[in-house]
Amino acid sequence: MSDLTDLCARAVEAAAGDEQVEAYATASRSLEVRVRGGEVEALTSAETRGLGIRVIAGGRVGYAYEADPSPEEVPALVASAREGARFAEPDPANELPALEPVEPLPGLFDPALAAAPTERKVALAVDLERAAVSAHPKVRKVERASYGDSAVRVAVASTRGGPLEHERADCWVSVAALAERGDETQAGFDFAVARSLESLAWERAAGGAAERAARLLGGVKPATERLPVILDPAAAASFLSVLAGSLSAEAVQKGRSPLAPLVGERVASDLVSLVDDGRLLEGPGAAPFDDEGVATGRTALVEDGVLRGFLHNQTTAARAGIRSTGNAGRNSYRTVPGVTPTNLFFAPGSESPEALLARAGRAVYVQEVSGLHSGASSVSGDFSVGAAGLRVEGGALAEPLREMTIASTLLDVLKAIAGVGSDLRFFPFGGALGAPTVLVGEMTVAGT
Amino acid sequence: MIDPELVQEVLREALATGGRFAEVFAEVRASTTIRLDNGRIEEVVAGGDRGAGIRVLYGDAQAYAFTNRLDATSLREAARTAAGAVRRGGAGAGAVADLRAAPPVRHEVERPAAEIPREWKVAWLGEAEEAARALDPSVRQVLIAYTDSLQRVLIASSDGRLAREERPRIRLVAQVVAVRDGVIQTGFEGPAGATGAELFDRRPPAETGRLAARVAVAMLDGRPSPAGEMPVVLGPGGGGVLFHEACGHGLEADHIQKDASVFKGRQGERLASPLVTGVDDGSVPEAWGTNAFDDEGMPTQRTVLFDEGRLVGQLYDRLRAEHDGVPSTGNGRRQSYAHLPVPRMTNSYILAGSTRPEDVVASTPRGLYARTLGGGQVNPANGDFVFGVAEGYLIEDGRITAPVRGANLIGNGPAILAAIDAVADDFDTRDGVCGKEGQGVPVSNGSPTLRIARMTVGGTDV
Repeated sequence: MSDLTDLCARAVEAAAGDEQVEAYATASRSLEVRVRGGEVEALTSAETRGLGIRVIAGGRVGYAYEADPSPEEVPALVASAREGARFAEPDPANELPALEPVEPLPGLFDPALAAAPTERKVALAVDLERAAVSAHPKVRKVERASYGDSAVRVAVASTRGGPLEHERADCWVSVAALAERGDETQAGFDFAVARSLESLAWERAAGGAAERAARLLGGVKPATERLPVILDPAAAASFLSVLAGSLSAEAVQKGRSPLAPLVGERVASDLVSLVDDGRLLEGPGAAPFDDEGVATGRTALVEDGVLRGFLHNQTTAARAGIRSTGNAGRNSYRTVPGVTPTNLFFAPGSESPEALLARAGRAVYVQEVSGLHSGASSVSGDFSVGAAGLRVEGGALAEPLREMTIASTLLDVLKAIAGVGSDLRFFPFGGALGAPTVLVGEMTVAGT
Repeated sequence: MIDPELVQEVLREALATGGRFAEVFAEVRASTTIRLDNGRIEEVVAGGDRGAGIRVLYGDAQAYAFTNRLDATSLREAARTAAGAVRRGGAGAGAVADLRAAPPVRHEVERPAAEIPREWKVAWLGEAEEAARALDPSVRQVLIAYTDSLQRVLIASSDGRLAREERPRIRLVAQVVAVRDGVIQTGFEGPAGATGAELFDRRPPAETGRLAARVAVAMLDGRPSPAGEMPVVLGPGGGGVLFHEACGHGLEADHIQKDASVFKGRQGERLASPLVTGVDDGSVPEAWGTNAFDDEGMPTQRTVLFDEGRLVGQLYDRLRAEHDGVPSTGNGRRQSYAHLPVPRMTNSYILAGSTRPEDVVASTPRGLYARTLGGGQVNPANGDFVFGVAEGYLIEDGRITAPVRGANLIGNGPAILAAIDAVADDFDTRDGVCGKEGQGVPVSNGSPTLRIARMTVGGTDV
């Protein structure tokens, strides 16, 4: 029994009467190195542990957490969660899932990553910065170049079974390059994620950030008009992050999703398929079980433009009378599980990004959207967001554009998708979201 | 929390390999969170957090190690980890001065949240929800979230500084969804303070529910926002959000020192309209962004950023102040022990002018009235920003007329500040959580009603 499963066992032992008790424990170690001008700017090393306790009594939920409790403190934590449950409304859908043995998912933990010396990781970060500033003549410095990694162990046990435990390790780089010409400065971002140092595509990230910064130099405001819009994978994934909220059964059941009444109906062009797959190793969100111990799997959400279903945890599934899709998620041991995507992605199409540009002819290419959290609502589906990118003329990238906004509704965008590229890429925001280049038939682009 | 002698020892350990400065930030935090969703108390969460971060400076570089164990063994180990990142053995090694304790600060709180029974807290959520629902039958969904916390911090550094503070915080947030004829709109209100339950005397829970519902209901009748350039009047508080996003971030010294700020090298210049005086003030009593000390143990203060349009200040933490050879302005903040401090705003305000708000609108023939802004985002490298408009109306013939939705404001920080041509006398604040480098810290933003002579509005109505 590990230290974490021991903590969990103490909590389960403290259950009283017919209440259900769940313990979720994590232990993580992480490192982050930030460099600037060839020197370490900051190095952060961390070790944290925590325990979250969920008590369900008569359908009422109470929750308590503590950073790094001793085994002796666990019964008091269970009592605190129990006390909180007294004030909550009962709901028969509040129940813990039965914890069954889960098929392991090999490949999530590379012991060599944790064992690699800090010096090697620092050297990688220094190389990353150097690669970014030598990738393009207009890029002479970075705003930030960082390397990071983490190793996390998670254990879940409850009065309905367990313990389950798994361990994963990830590493990443992120780089923000600054391109300059005269008084003008433009920033470009890129990153890479992997499960081993050998497979971390840091050189591609460095080159990508430099290119994305440099090509925005000299931007002009566009005139306001309706035009085809090409979203690069990062911009398409940003939109997917808003859509992800609408695909959560929690939002659907609370009337907070425009997709709620549309199961079985066409919600997107027939080029669009959206899939969530928690066992897809290419995606950074892969894990053998979700944050309440249910095995992850593959869920088709939109197939050829038709809405097939939503993402569920145990509670939303109980309410809908189906099985959990393994999408219980928590930010940390501090929170009750909600519903989150694992690896949620646009199934890639067959066209290259170049072919999509050629087909669009005259269009706007968007490489970055800003203000999404304020300018887009997964409740109403309306959005109006700032964007940076380039004009497309004659099927090729042309002059850069700045201070532009694009506005529409999520459903209108999905229905107007006229091309899905083959270049699927995953981004580590909001779970892990994946998108290729996407061509949208027409949107309002505002500038002047 | 931690014995001062142990702190001294840990600091010595942290400097053992040649660092020039070391610091311990330790905290213990207790919090309560309650969520009410559609008439049901869904969760009551009791939380306990604790941890310590140890920072070692060598040259301009920082090494940081944190742990959530506060015992002597774990603290010493963290100190050794941070020290181990320093590879320049010996040269310029700092010594640890005797710790001089500033008097511990406990904020004057009439009714500490920790002493209030959970039954009462649950009742506040009910009052907010009831008032939201009573406003209009179109109110379909109401989410109320309550949170209080007491954070006890100890901050000690090798220059002898030792600060201790108990920081109370309390907040009630209402999110409302209104639905009519297939149209869905949302509203938000979330007053907060560094205080106790007396916050709700000034901002009663029922009023919070009602204000959030008002936005959602008003926007149901919204027509698509016009797009293009036009005058924009920002409602009280809304200009504070703009000031925070479009200017405040660019005045954080880390951005300036990295050449990633549009304000670099422009101190002393008249960049804003002479109507604009803007400050950051971490010492406003009971305000949401207030602390007695920043998270590096420096007393907080009022820093003037724009004095009648002239750029006269910027926001420093310790490291960036050292770099410029000036004192820190007490803006070194962090989300928790798990984070390195960076320069951050606290309470950032555009101060009130003397015009009446109704006169500002009356002198605007045609434009957009943005009563409430949503969040926003800015690229500090060039000052470009975008804000969502949560509640917007047309201004026609000097009167506020039809509601519009889907609008956002796009512009450039310095350009917009220069274009402010009216500042009213109706100062108000908005409380929020500001994100930077993955860290959220409580901030309040404040302003009176303001007019920007021309700016780009993004919308769907071409």
